[in-house]
Amino acid sequence: MTALTRRQRRALTLAMRYLIAVAVTLLFLFPVYWLFMISFKTPEEIFHVPPLWLPGQIQFNNYWVLFKDGDVVAILNSLIVAGTSSVIAMVLGTFCAYSLARFNTGGENLAMWIISQRMIPPMAVVFPIFLIYVHFGMVDTFSGLILLYTAFNLPYVIWMMRGYIADIPLELEESALVDGCTRWQVIWKVVFPMARSGLMATAVFTFVFAWNDFLFALILTRTEVITFPVQLTHYMGGQSNFWAKIAAMSVLGTLPIFVAVTIMQRYLVRGISLGAVKG
Amino acid sequence: MALPFSRLHDAMSTDTYGHRLSVFSDRNFKYLMVAPGILILLLVGIFPLIYSLVVSFQNITMTDVDTSFQGLLNYKQLFRDARLWQALGHTALITAIALPLELVLGFLLAQLFLERMPGRQIFVALLVLPTVLSPIVAGATWRLMFDVRFGPIGQIVSYFAGEPVTLLWTVNPSLVYPAIIICEVWQWTPFMFLLLLAALSNVDQSQLEAAELDGASYWRVLRQIIMPAIKPVVAIAVLIRGLDLFRIFDIIWALTEGGPGSMTETISLYTYVIGFTQFDTSYTAAVAFLVVALLSVIVTLVLRRMELVK
Amino acid sequence: MADVRISGLHKYYGAMHALKGIDLTIADGEFAVFVGPSGCGKSTLLRTIAGLEDVDAGEIAIGGGVVNDMRPRDRNIAMVFQNYALYPYLTVFENIAFGLRARKFADSEISKRVGDAASMLGITALLDRFPRQLSGGQRQRVAIGRAIVRQAQLFLFDEPLSNLDAKLRDEMRSEIKRLHKNIATTMIYVTHDQVEAMTLADRIVLLRDGRIEQQGSPLDLFERPATGFVAGFLGSPTINLIPAVMDVRGNSVAVRLTSGEMLELPADKVQSAAGSNGKKVILGIRPQHLTRAGRAALPKGQIRVKAVADLIQPTGTRTYVTSRIGDVAVTAELGAHDVHEQGATLDYAVDMNRCVLIDPQTDKVL
Repeated sequence: MTALTRRQRRALTLAMRYLIAVAVTLLFLFPVYWLFMISFKTPEEIFHVPPLWLPGQIQFNNYWVLFKDGDVVAILNSLIVAGTSSVIAMVLGTFCAYSLARFNTGGENLAMWIISQRMIPPMAVVFPIFLIYVHFGMVDTFSGLILLYTAFNLPYVIWMMRGYIADIPLELEESALVDGCTRWQVIWKVVFPMARSGLMATAVFTFVFAWNDFLFALILTRTEVITFPVQLTHYMGGQSNFWAKIAAMSVLGTLPIFVAVTIMQRYLVRGISLGAVKG
Repeated sequence: MALPFSRLHDAMSTDTYGHRLSVFSDRNFKYLMVAPGILILLLVGIFPLIYSLVVSFQNITMTDVDTSFQGLLNYKQLFRDARLWQALGHTALITAIALPLELVLGFLLAQLFLERMPGRQIFVALLVLPTVLSPIVAGATWRLMFDVRFGPIGQIVSYFAGEPVTLLWTVNPSLVYPAIIICEVWQWTPFMFLLLLAALSNVDQSQLEAAELDGASYWRVLRQIIMPAIKPVVAIAVLIRGLDLFRIFDIIWALTEGGPGSMTETISLYTYVIGFTQFDTSYTAAVAFLVVALLSVIVTLVLRRMELVK
Repeated sequence: MADVRISGLHKYYGAMHALKGIDLTIADGEFAVFVGPSGCGKSTLLRTIAGLEDVDAGEIAIGGGVVNDMRPRDRNIAMVFQNYALYPYLTVFENIAFGLRARKFADSEISKRVGDAASMLGITALLDRFPRQLSGGQRQRVAIGRAIVRQAQLFLFDEPLSNLDAKLRDEMRSEIKRLHKNIATTMIYVTHDQVEAMTLADRIVLLRDGRIEQQGSPLDLFERPATGFVAGFLGSPTINLIPAVMDVRGNSVAVRLTSGEMLELPADKVQSAAGSNGKKVILGIRPQHLTRAGRAALPKGQIRVKAVADLIQPTGTRTYVTSRIGDVAVTAELGAHDVHEQGATLDYAVDMNRCVLIDPQTDKVL
């Protein structure tokens, strides 16, 4: 080793790091690969002993079945519920956030209360909500689920947007006010464009949270607004797992999330750490 | 002394109607903006809690809708409910093993990718994938992986063992917890990795360079420079993940459904069972309240510790 | 205590050629200042000496031994960083002691050395505080203290004063100079501020685009710049650069400005003017060498030029006056009360003994 120069030692370390990095990445991606591959297998290949690591051919029958049987409705339901609730949560939450960030409305206490709402375990609130929904006939309705996801995501939106808005230099707004804008014009013409990337990132995350949720959907839906995670569990029953359907449905339900998060990667760390780490 | 002045001020500011209106709307602007959001939070966040508090003092069951107040009956029952405390124990067990594992593995991964290397962004993007999956998908994936006949895990283990090994991951009592923890750690280590990578990248480079010139050992640098610098992020990460682990539900639902028996039943699963399969309404409300109370205590303690850190 | 010898040093960042063949010798005990515009490679050069950057070609020797393959910690170097790099979770005492503890010094030796350094820098009262409780100047002192206790053979400073306000900067500058006098260790100091460079340096090394443009004593560089770039970089206000054409008639050599004025050059200024008639040059005159001419005849080599004061900027001690000479704006540094009125016509005495002629093609001083 003493014969090596620092330059050579560094090259050697880099090679080692690459080796480990590739190994670790393969390890972490293997389950995803397995899921993905099963979705292209024929039943004979899926239930082959020993398990096959490659499908004989790429065939889309497993996906086709989901469309033919109408199971993809669950994806559509998820889109409607997650999409609508995100939009509503973003609109209401951003106004809240602006007020909190710029006027310090309610002081630090209100902000802490709002974020503490996010920390309440869903199981503790979903039970009474279920009772109330039964009373008002809101179980298994779009509006019921949308309202719940909106409320569930609001603390997140308020908390995150408060951070993004606080990052905008106050002078920009003051200069717009001096130039004759009304409060609403300032928000529309200065705050929104400046916070655009933060808005986009937060919207993506609220969408992902609603999309990935299982618990609320399990309890508050029956047949009409089944979302994709609930549909997925319908395929798992005792010994008769519909493996092909599980795999195909999982891939369908993961692709939009993966695309969205990849686009928003720059904001990923800030998004998942509740704004604590600005990445 | 101040009173006459403020009266004077009021009188001056109300001299024209239009002026008063503009002051009014500007003052209330900030409240108008928060009102709809807060209203929904109260409606869907607070009102159900109050409602369940009321229900928890009644005695509503599947067969009997008895709305008379029973005092602390349901709360007394909490202490005699062995399955409840077992469920809390299971939850604590999973948290106590998975959380440190995720933290340590995440830290090691972050160290690996800390220094620049070509293609780092791609590695990070790929490694993040498990974390953004729906936990139900993660659970389902590992269910396929663990399958005793058609899954690859048994095959791989058999290959290295040199003989066929039968591992009933979701049935064998000594393997269910490893199965759950493997799945949980697989899904959330990338979360820790991302946060710690960001935290480590934010450590002041010149402090590390100064320490290198001073001849400090890696352990000294880790203990005296890196650890204190990333402590706040570690605290946040542990808080977020700890809360998630406390309410762990989806992964277990997909992997074991709480079984075998109630061996892997966590507090969220137990609440679900008594509330939605046994319809023991009032008692469930009491359990839900216990959970909120416990969690509030834990969060308060953690937050207080974090303030000490700052 | 050590000298530093650098030969044929090259450094690349990917495709960017940051250092393009540096040859440099810094004597034992010398105070060298690397100066130049941002991106010229001065910080990179310093960091290669510290070992914080690898070099792609060439050799660095400190105290006679080649250090290319030595880790920074083994080079026995102390460095003060631009942001001070204080460890926020350690007290001032522990910050200063950090390097000694890392090298396993005895506690008694540590407290003695830290105590000595603290009293030398006047921060004894701050030893129990944390960096966040200190002002910028105090942090700077702690960072210097951390370097002193190591008793390293070479001190490196990477723009240490650029985060301080103007008044503190002046104060710390004299303190660093005094420090060098007291401990007489070789010091290398990086700055983009030409005043810091002039006042501190025994030797200024002026870099430009990864090359050494010129090196020497401060006054040497100021009075005998090798290129137009050096002439323009040093001095405040900056040197006036006036386009002109050489005009050679027998023994008399002059430059003709575009506005037609002829300025005769002193004989010793031009060794050989043969064949340079009609050549385009740039005439460089420092604002200090344009003075107000009296009624009396001017000394030899000074030329009288009339111009209108377009812009007057008093600084209290001196007044900067801008006029048009040779179709460009030329600044003169006059006495505080020399001019009172904008638009007044002034008689300048241009000291041609001190002027430089620059070849506009090569930027070299003729």
